[in-house]
Amino acid sequence: MDWYLLLAAILLPALSAALCFIIKNQKVRIAIVSISTLILFAVAYGFIVLLLRAPEGKLVYQFNESTLEVVSWIIKGLDLVLFSYIAYVGIKHKKAIVVVLCILQVIPWALFEVFGVFGKVFEPEDAFVIDHLSLIMIMLVSIIGPIITFFALGYMKEHEHHLKLTVSRQPRFFMILFVFLGAMNALVMTDNLSWMYFFWEITTLCSFLLISHDGTEIAIKNGLRALWINSVGGVAFIFAIILVNSSLGTLSIQAISESGMEGAFTGLLPIALGLLCIAGFTKSAQFPFQSWLLGAMVAPTPVSALLHSSTMVKAGVYLVVRISPAFSGTILGQLVAISGGFTFAIASAIAISQSNGKKVLAYSTIANLGLVICCAGIGTRTSIAAAILLMIFHAVSKGLLFLCVGTIEQGIGSRDIEDMQGLFKIMPFTTVITVIGMISMMLPPFGVLITKWMAIETAVDQPLVLLLIILGSALTVVFWGKWIGIILTMSYKPKFHIEKLTFSMEAALTTLIVFVMAASIGIVPLYNTLVKPQVVSFVMQDKGSLVGEGMGIWLRNMDKTVYGGFASIVFFIIVLLLMVAIPFFAHRLKPARLKPPYLCGDNASDDMRGLEFISPGDKIENVVVRNYYMQNVFGEDKLTTGANIIAGAIVLIILGVVIGL
Amino acid sequence: MSINNFLIAVIAVIVSPLLGGLLTGIDRKITARMQNRQGPPILQPFYDFFKLIGKQDIAVNQTQMVYVLGHLLFAIGALVMLVLQQDLLMIMFILAFSGISLIMGASSIRSPYSKIGAQREIMSMMAYEPVLLLMVVGVYKATGSFMISGIFEHEKPLLYSLPLVFLSFLFILTIKLRKSPFDFATSHHGHQELIKGLTIEFSGTQLALIELTDWIDLVLFMGLISLFFAQPIWVGILIALVCYFIEILIDNISARMTWQWMVKTTWVAGIGVALVNIVWMYLIP
Repeated sequence: MDWYLLLAAILLPALSAALCFIIKNQKVRIAIVSISTLILFAVAYGFIVLLLRAPEGKLVYQFNESTLEVVSWIIKGLDLVLFSYIAYVGIKHKKAIVVVLCILQVIPWALFEVFGVFGKVFEPEDAFVIDHLSLIMIMLVSIIGPIITFFALGYMKEHEHHLKLTVSRQPRFFMILFVFLGAMNALVMTDNLSWMYFFWEITTLCSFLLISHDGTEIAIKNGLRALWINSVGGVAFIFAIILVNSSLGTLSIQAISESGMEGAFTGLLPIALGLLCIAGFTKSAQFPFQSWLLGAMVAPTPVSALLHSSTMVKAGVYLVVRISPAFSGTILGQLVAISGGFTFAIASAIAISQSNGKKVLAYSTIANLGLVICCAGIGTRTSIAAAILLMIFHAVSKGLLFLCVGTIEQGIGSRDIEDMQGLFKIMPFTTVITVIGMISMMLPPFGVLITKWMAIETAVDQPLVLLLIILGSALTVVFWGKWIGIILTMSYKPKFHIEKLTFSMEAALTTLIVFVMAASIGIVPLYNTLVKPQVVSFVMQDKGSLVGEGMGIWLRNMDKTVYGGFASIVFFIIVLLLMVAIPFFAHRLKPARLKPPYLCGDNASDDMRGLEFISPGDKIENVVVRNYYMQNVFGEDKLTTGANIIAGAIVLIILGVVIGL
Repeated sequence: MSINNFLIAVIAVIVSPLLGGLLTGIDRKITARMQNRQGPPILQPFYDFFKLIGKQDIAVNQTQMVYVLGHLLFAIGALVMLVLQQDLLMIMFILAFSGISLIMGASSIRSPYSKIGAQREIMSMMAYEPVLLLMVVGVYKATGSFMISGIFEHEKPLLYSLPLVFLSFLFILTIKLRKSPFDFATSHHGHQELIKGLTIEFSGTQLALIELTDWIDLVLFMGLISLFFAQPIWVGILIALVCYFIEILIDNISARMTWQWMVKTTWVAGIGVALVNIVWMYLIP
């Protein structure tokens, strides 16, 4: 039974990918995507059941020696194919840095894996190990991923219609999406660092293919940027593999995670951990590696939704969280926390100055990933729990928000926030969902805020990190608040317009909003069944604990006294009341009781909208109010260079420290 | 939640608006005397409140009331958490929801005054939020707990260990209460460049509820001030009242500043002063 699940999680997306590519018929594609979606849901469910029943809290897939060898060589072969293809891409687009970075990976890889120059390669026999953290990732990948793919069915049709393509490129698109999902599933399940590297590189390549999918000049340029920046991470990764192998004598990721408690935080291991963190930074688009993710928004919206929510960027934070127990409480941990906290604060600041909706989302993603990495670096059990919870909440909310912006963009033909004035009247369904999605990113009692609260309460012993999180939180409120204000703008309208969305888009939005609400309301069981066992099983010194009890989550220190906590569920009653109140008040008000807003003189016409007024001199004036963006303080051009220098310095300090240890 | 807690919560929800309204009445009286006017009777805020309730409901769009309710209910939520001695940090976040709710309401209206008022209110939020959070951190550093119950168990008054945080908190209190020099989002006097700014298109019951929320906020903040001298609590309450008088004084002797000035000062001076205090708390072993 369990072997089938494992194979289904990895190979089924691969099979769907092949089918999507071969059979070019739209109807067949819909069938393939729908069936794969359902099967992947079932796979995720199957893993939940299996893991909750598993006695030791993890599922171990052991290969016998001969199979292990065969699979290893297959992966090595595929590695080589992958390298060749990346090099080919570099040569084809005349991008020297891609080729150089590719060679920098091939040489150590070949010397290590094929020729064994650096000694024997210790491949772990437990090739796949699934614990709670892996399970959470599988759920994100296999539930949110297919929903986004399903959404793409409707979206891509419309998208190609806009582009006026003669030959549909959807088969290629869906093929890459499925390969991506399969690779992500494999990446989070494997316990073999060098296999993980292979899947890691597949996601890099897939992101290049997806970002450059539209084939325009800018798309290819941004795709190549994603490729080379992630290749920097790849180089760090391959060197880390070699160092891990020679210092620990195994490539098992579990062993790395447990290595911290052996007191051996000297020699080669810290360097390996530092390099793995840097690899995670590139994949998770942390400053100074953030530019590829910002460029990624030229891709069709489902791609951004996928890259930002459940796949790609989450692989980076997954790796950092996975190895975080090994550097918990060390100087490396503190530096990682500072680096993440810095990204959180600075990305939130830049987001204030952006009026492009997708760019705001992108900066918010970078910021939240920064917070995850920051929490991983703080290195208490509570902070790691916060990191894992934030990964879940962020994936769901951000996946939803990207799909919302995509839907809005197709509805009004713009992704500029200022153009979304009065959206409530044109697209009421999408607007309500978008607003709930945004509120879930910034306000209590929703999950993202709760993790922020946990982060602050557990970071109290690291003042600099704490200050960065506090500043970031304040800045976060600003850019979401401004955006919400714009899309809720409306004047009286007797009848609401009913928007037409394709079934796949509507279904995807509805499902995700249900997940957003469910995850936040059910934070206590979510924490108790999935996150807590993982955090408890990490081998760490920290003795404090976080308990989910009754209506909320409570922090306890060593002698079991509660020193912080929040009954979040109680507040959901208010939220739900307000959500019920919206339709109630919308229907109750009589038109006679409604007046146009006061502008700056007599309103020019009798209609309720209040767009024009008669100014002194009897001229008719238009009313245009824009949000504050404060370009001169928070502008991208003002902050990016400085932020890159500081973040680059922190990365260099990390490298210097781990080498010096 | 035990019956006892439930009773405390109910009493707080009933008493605090009365207290807040009374304080506002006193504020108006003192302000009038400072300006050599007779001033309204002390119960005037309540008369205003009931008059507003009795007015015809006039709105600009259908959703306004929802935001007003959100503003009110989350403020009540924060108040209940305060009297039940819950997590101080979360109270700040709940308060932020209350604030954001009013901002959403104001910017949902197609009026330039209300929209600009909302923008300015977001800016003040951005300014005071870090100071509030830093205050919570300071309280944790002093008492070892984020729960307000921890403050009451702590023997030494917080004011002794957090004098600068207290100053910084007083500074942002002026912003939070929208008193001059920081009354640029909306003010009690409807004759300024934004007219009534944030609340311009709210009338009747809606405006009454916003007033009510302001009273609750006032009591909440007075409560937070008293936490700095929680033992014995009457000293804390006395300090809170003195602080409120100082706020009224500042309100009357200062001219309005721009929001840019406010953000700059709060981020540099407010955060800076609070940080100095917190840094020395870290250095004390």
